[in-house]
Amino acid sequence: MICISGIGWIFDGKYGCARTGHKRNAESDLPPSGEVFPYPFKNFGRLDPQSRVTCCAVGLALRDARIELSPNQKKAIGIVGTCSSGSLASDIKYFRDYIDSGRTLGRGHLFIYTLPSSPLAEAAVYFGCLGPLLYIDDRQDPFGTTVRTASEMIRASEAGTMVAGVTEEEGAAYFVLQKAKQPDPGCHILPADQAMIGISTIGDVVARVIDINKHGA
Amino acid sequence: MPVMRAVIVQSDMITSYGRGTDSCWKGLHSGSSGIRKLGRFRTNSLHSGYASTVGGLTYHEDASLVEQMLIGLFDGKYRPIPDDASLILATTKGEIHLLEKELLDGSSVVSGSNPQRLLEKVSVMSGAMGKGMVSSAACASSSAGLALASSMVQAGRSDCVLTVACDAVTEFVFSGFSSLMALDSVPARPFDKDRGGLTVGEGAAYALVMSEERAAREGYEIEGEVKGWGLSDDANHMTGPSRESEGLILAIKKAMKAADTGISDIALISAHGTGTIYNDAMEMKGFSAVFGGKQIPVYSVKGGVGHTMGAAGLIETLIALRSLKEGKALPTVNLVVPDDCAEGWVSRESRPICSECSALLTNAGFGGINAALVLSRWRGK
Repeated sequence: MICISGIGWIFDGKYGCARTGHKRNAESDLPPSGEVFPYPFKNFGRLDPQSRVTCCAVGLALRDARIELSPNQKKAIGIVGTCSSGSLASDIKYFRDYIDSGRTLGRGHLFIYTLPSSPLAEAAVYFGCLGPLLYIDDRQDPFGTTVRTASEMIRASEAGTMVAGVTEEEGAAYFVLQKAKQPDPGCHILPADQAMIGISTIGDVVARVIDINKHGA
Repeated sequence: MPVMRAVIVQSDMITSYGRGTDSCWKGLHSGSSGIRKLGRFRTNSLHSGYASTVGGLTYHEDASLVEQMLIGLFDGKYRPIPDDASLILATTKGEIHLLEKELLDGSSVVSGSNPQRLLEKVSVMSGAMGKGMVSSAACASSSAGLALASSMVQAGRSDCVLTVACDAVTEFVFSGFSSLMALDSVPARPFDKDRGGLTVGEGAAYALVMSEERAAREGYEIEGEVKGWGLSDDANHMTGPSRESEGLILAIKKAMKAADTGISDIALISAHGTGTIYNDAMEMKGFSAVFGGKQIPVYSVKGGVGHTMGAAGLIETLIALRSLKEGKALPTVNLVVPDDCAEGWVSRESRPICSECSALLTNAGFGGINAALVLSRWRGK
């Protein structure tokens, strides 16, 4: 059985994970780095906004799943994610800057974020995730498709652990998926295949977790 | 439950060599290059003036470059695409030209460049009305898309998946690669001692992937089988590949294991072979690590068709299957003197291969993404 062993999210000015619930950081829309990143994230400030939110939500989910991470050891973890606007904001930023420079020179550090997979790649580079990395946009069922695809990758032995989720303007929510004999009773999380039923937005994820934590799965 | 085998039953492509796998394969086999001086936009201040473009396309018209290419592919020449086919669109920048138009002269809308819009158009053009999704994995987008399609078939999620891949030469991507100093000032020379970077190319392709069972039931002639795939990430750097090649090695090993294929069964390697110093060296390091002392014919098509970005994996898949059918590994176009690391692996000449064996295909992309596929001609049960 493939189960969800961790959930992390950034939403509505708050952040959270399944085991600890919602919190607010008075200083920022993002969580304090010490609560997300197990070791220094050198260039975090230079990331585009979408990558920052994605990395934080992925970090919260991995921490929630109690996965030990080290800068010196890469792991067989893969990432599948999506965003309904793709890389539109970064596309505009890059090309407007190029036009403003007289169409003579683009800026490489803006161009690298013009791929929709770049926020996921930033997370993979920082967290040392050696597994599959794929952006997949199914507008009808963003959470269901990313989680299903990630589950199939685990079944196909592409990686032992997968992170799957969604980044949008209002935030991000990511799930850690792993093979398990039974759902983790500690956080009352459902098996992955069932957990996505009725989930279509980040708000749905947060509401479901809060509900489960209050009433049980 | 037995695993369903994923087979390619129909395909087509358009590249700088023209319409069809046949013209592309023949062009590459003859050693001629489709790379030319680029007249689509000004390149004086950029690091290259060369690209591999499809003839007859019009830039900054209402129909985007990729739409113009794709319309040509679904013109009724072959059997209609089944309307229940799921659809995977693999691209890096799709219709980015619509965003260019809007920001340059306000004659479009930026949201028009969202790949979901293109997905809707492709669904209408192709007739594939099943579940649709966009997949993107940088320059490994369409090899990853083909892996995804095959996985859907194997998992029983769909028995018919149309994978469509496309990307175009636009000022957006050209200036971007230039900004990263990734372009060669002359046409790309993959695996050459004096290689200096890549040449941007454009193209579009599709492959109809079916379960073996449905293909037989509906009387399709099988072009090839996607036997196995492996995806990985270097987890190392956003734009540069890992010099140790561990991510690529991992992807190759996963693909070969999934395909239940040994070293002796691989007859050729269709490499990503962009022509950048680091990519080509990293790939050769990976091939050497996996295949040890056994030098297998390696080629890159990018000296001919250029680097077609999100379309590269699918175009290269169809060319690799054709190479197996012909029993010939292609020459690497524009190769003059092989780099030391590639000596004995690559060639300026076509080489005979075992057509009953398998092909290994590799792609890599920004963000450290790697994809490997094991392909073979259909051998039946």
